[in-house]
Amino acid sequence: MIVYLRSGGKLHDLLKPDVDQYTRRVETHEGATLIEILGELGIPLAMVAFAFADGKVRKLEYVPSDGDVITIQSPVAGG
Amino acid sequence: MVLSSDELERYTRQMGLPDWGEDGQERLRDARVFIAGAGGLGSAVALYLTAAGVGRITLCDPDTVELSNLNRQVLYSTSDIGRGKVTAASEHLVSLNPAAAIVPQSYRIDTDSAPDLVAGHDIAIDCLDTLDARFVLNRACIALGIPMVYGAVSGFTGQLSLIHPPTTPCLECFISDKSPTEMPQVPGCTAGMIGSLQATEAIKYLIGIGRTLAGRLLVVDGMGPRFDVLEIERDPDCPACGNRAE
Repeated sequence: MIVYLRSGGKLHDLLKPDVDQYTRRVETHEGATLIEILGELGIPLAMVAFAFADGKVRKLEYVPSDGDVITIQSPVAGG
Repeated sequence: MVLSSDELERYTRQMGLPDWGEDGQERLRDARVFIAGAGGLGSAVALYLTAAGVGRITLCDPDTVELSNLNRQVLYSTSDIGRGKVTAASEHLVSLNPAAAIVPQSYRIDTDSAPDLVAGHDIAIDCLDTLDARFVLNRACIALGIPMVYGAVSGFTGQLSLIHPPTTPCLECFISDKSPTEMPQVPGCTAGMIGSLQATEAIKYLIGIGRTLAGRLLVVDGMGPRFDVLEIERDPDCPACGNRAE
């Protein structure tokens, strides 16, 4: 199945977008969690605080469906 | 107590807003707000809440003003370098609005200090600069039943939410415990934008107007620009507010 990962900021370079400036098309297997998908892409989990898809914040254990667009967020802690 | 003629004139350009009125202004005057952190976010929050007429503001930060703060921490001037932040900030805020009671607290937020510092306030504003300190404030607010306006920035991105369990998720429901190791780059415009939105959330909550970000997270990407408002859900296993809470 295909999912689309989006990111800006620090994660942008690791994600290596190929669809547009922010988005990478990723082929993965049914039932894969975000943790597994990020692992396959070589993106360190410590650099991802959470993700969001379909208007909701998702934890990294989230299992995407075919065609999902998932935005990953790096930890943001500055004040 | 009714508003004085001075107060009526000072706030005349906001009290005419729908549902604000003299009642709303009196609620702000009677409010006690705790601002954790007097950096980029805290500068904007403190300035706007003081200008809006919040009666009592506790500003908590142990640091001194440094030259590298001045790109974003608009509460301070070059002449403040080396001074305690909360001391310098209090002077500036009182000159902006002499009716405001500004309480400087030069303490670091940790598990020992947080409960006593936050107690007695109507709302806390999280303007801290590490996830560890934010989690400490989050837990203190949960224990005291005090709502917390979460705000954070890095680069041109920012996040914002109103945290008030059990009505809403808490910070640890949706953010994994991973502290960034690098000090983030933060342009003043990003801190000002998110700080202004934090002040807006606090005013809405204190007056009881509009719809707050309770149960929702605003994610801002200033480069897009893009503003996403996302639903966030409570985690029943959250170590701070869920079944596993200590």
